[in-house]
Amino acid sequence: MAGSEFKNNEMETSQPEVKPRIAIVSLTSCEGCQFALLDLGERFLEVAKKVEMVDFRLLEDEEDDGRPLDVAFVEGDPVTEANKKTLLELRKRSKLLVVIGNCAAMGGVPEIKNYREKNIPIKHVYKFIQGIENEEIQEVDKFVKVDFTLPGCPIDGEEFLKYLPSLLAGDIPVIPDQPVCIECKKKGNTCLLLENKPCFGPMILGGCDAVCPTARMECQGCRGIRPTGNVKAMKAALKRLITDEEFENTTEIFGLRDDVEAWENDHKEN
Amino acid sequence: MNIKINHIAKIEGHTGFMASVLQGDVKSAKFEVQEGVRLIEGILVGRTYRDMPVIAQRICGICPVVHNLTAIKSIENAMGVEVTEETVKLRRVMEHAQFIHSHALHLFFLSLADFLDIENDLDLVGEYPEQAKKAVRIREYGMEIIKVIGGRVVHPLTNEVGGFKKVPTVEEIGNLIAQGEEILPVALELGEFFKTIKLPEFTRETEYVSLGRDGEYAIYDGDVVSNRGLHVVVDEFENNFHEFQRPKEIIKRVMTDGETSYMVGSIARVNNQGDKLSPEARKFRESLGFSLPDFNPFHNVLYQMTEVIHSIEESAELMRQLSRADLGNAVTKKYEVRAGSAAAAVEAPRGTLYYWVDIDDKGYIKSANIITPTAQFLTHLEDDIAAFIPGILDVDEHTREKKMRAFIRAYDPCISCAVH
Repeated sequence: MAGSEFKNNEMETSQPEVKPRIAIVSLTSCEGCQFALLDLGERFLEVAKKVEMVDFRLLEDEEDDGRPLDVAFVEGDPVTEANKKTLLELRKRSKLLVVIGNCAAMGGVPEIKNYREKNIPIKHVYKFIQGIENEEIQEVDKFVKVDFTLPGCPIDGEEFLKYLPSLLAGDIPVIPDQPVCIECKKKGNTCLLLENKPCFGPMILGGCDAVCPTARMECQGCRGIRPTGNVKAMKAALKRLITDEEFENTTEIFGLRDDVEAWENDHKEN
Repeated sequence: MNIKINHIAKIEGHTGFMASVLQGDVKSAKFEVQEGVRLIEGILVGRTYRDMPVIAQRICGICPVVHNLTAIKSIENAMGVEVTEETVKLRRVMEHAQFIHSHALHLFFLSLADFLDIENDLDLVGEYPEQAKKAVRIREYGMEIIKVIGGRVVHPLTNEVGGFKKVPTVEEIGNLIAQGEEILPVALELGEFFKTIKLPEFTRETEYVSLGRDGEYAIYDGDVVSNRGLHVVVDEFENNFHEFQRPKEIIKRVMTDGETSYMVGSIARVNNQGDKLSPEARKFRESLGFSLPDFNPFHNVLYQMTEVIHSIEESAELMRQLSRADLGNAVTKKYEVRAGSAAAAVEAPRGTLYYWVDIDDKGYIKSANIITPTAQFLTHLEDDIAAFIPGILDVDEHTREKKMRAFIRAYDPCISCAVH
């Protein structure tokens, strides 16, 4: 529909309406972030009317026309050579490249294998491992320039809608540097840390509406360390609840472990 | 002649399809999977059992509820953790809600366009605005239930081993019941619309496998049964359905005797337990006019519609019972971490989902296996298409490809689940 309207408008001589061209592409993932968008229901369909949806394979059979894009949204991990090729081509033709979700931003659960001896996880799953692409997980920004990251596992549809207008206008938004705790307190939740639950909320970037602690699930850091988040203080607060090893294991779930290690390297002198 | 489909859109995950035909004979018909491996079972090994439901549900963005529940059930079976009736009922409501929203998405937005000769869902919505609105409303009802009970639609949060971290209030359950009463007639109307859709004629006699249980349309508990008289307990699953890998393939095959494929999913469940559907769902099923067992795989879409009606009625009944119960009983109680290994199975929207886990006495996972519905029916789908192709050799290439896409999509495959 978007495509045909575009053509009709082009034929009109007065005030042709040019809609921003976007693509929503998934690499290796659960595709949950695309569903978080689809789950917006009619509000997503409203958005879809305002843009030219060049590639969204969840809803369209039509082939991508291959022309330049205003914004490309990428979900998932570039695991296979084909994934990597898709990603590089997408970058080349897009003004802005936005990663959506924890896999694309931080490696996600597949990154756990990076912390295991190579070939142990794959040998648990497969008898014949020859020919199966099993490189270490490297997130999207290791391959291409990323203009904006919408974090979360999965992303929050509301947050997507909040930042979409500026992205479509070509501006790069900034997610406020505040912990999950701000929204958690606003919701009137009892602090999980006070209940002796190892919640990572204080060091993690908010914006998720504190969805996990509100469901009494401790924050495990899927949105990543916030710019002024303090890993050292967090670890000190968690010391009486979990061991260092348990902390490290938990940071593996959402690809946070390498970010924690990088933070500690950067703050050695402190 | 080679028939090649580069990428099949409107399914979950990425795959192409390749068939080679020699003088009218189909020599091979095979999926060409374009997904990367995530090695979910492999990365679970060595981790605490508490991480398993969190990680395993991330196999799939559309059916996380059932991955989460099956993981939890397998751990509870392995460690001998008992849960309350209220916990089981809340979980079953979530599972029905998972059926409602997954089916509503597939039958309307992923599959329907194929039978109306439309290639883009935004066009579909434009041409059938009333029906699209109904499908969206039904889907939103299913999502609302999961949000209220589970805390979030994609990758729910409240479920855990032993019960729930947080339970809904009686008022919240009451609201959902009221919404359910409004949504049932909407589903019946959408059902009437689906009855007018002309689906292709194709039949191939086969084995349909699902859970089965006395006195109920089994989705959460039961034994493994088939229309050919199979009846085994879930612990015997892997002795009857053999999972194996062919070199270079990343989706493992699952066959009954190492070479015979079988079918799971809505069509299998309705074939095996159609007499146990809820009243309106049974009426709808009977009004379709097909006798059971029904061997036309395209009818899977109609049986998904049947199950949407069934799950709306069943979840409403369960929620009525819950509104009179003490939901506090569903909150997790203290339990003992013990060594053990066990299997569990639930019905996912796409068919029987099987988990097996082995846990040590500290609660760390020694081994795990996950067999998804799509992995089970993928070979069956290839066999069906191989039987379907000779009937469409005379049509032009574009039409042939469209018919094959429609066939594949009617199965509702989830390639992300199948690879995992």
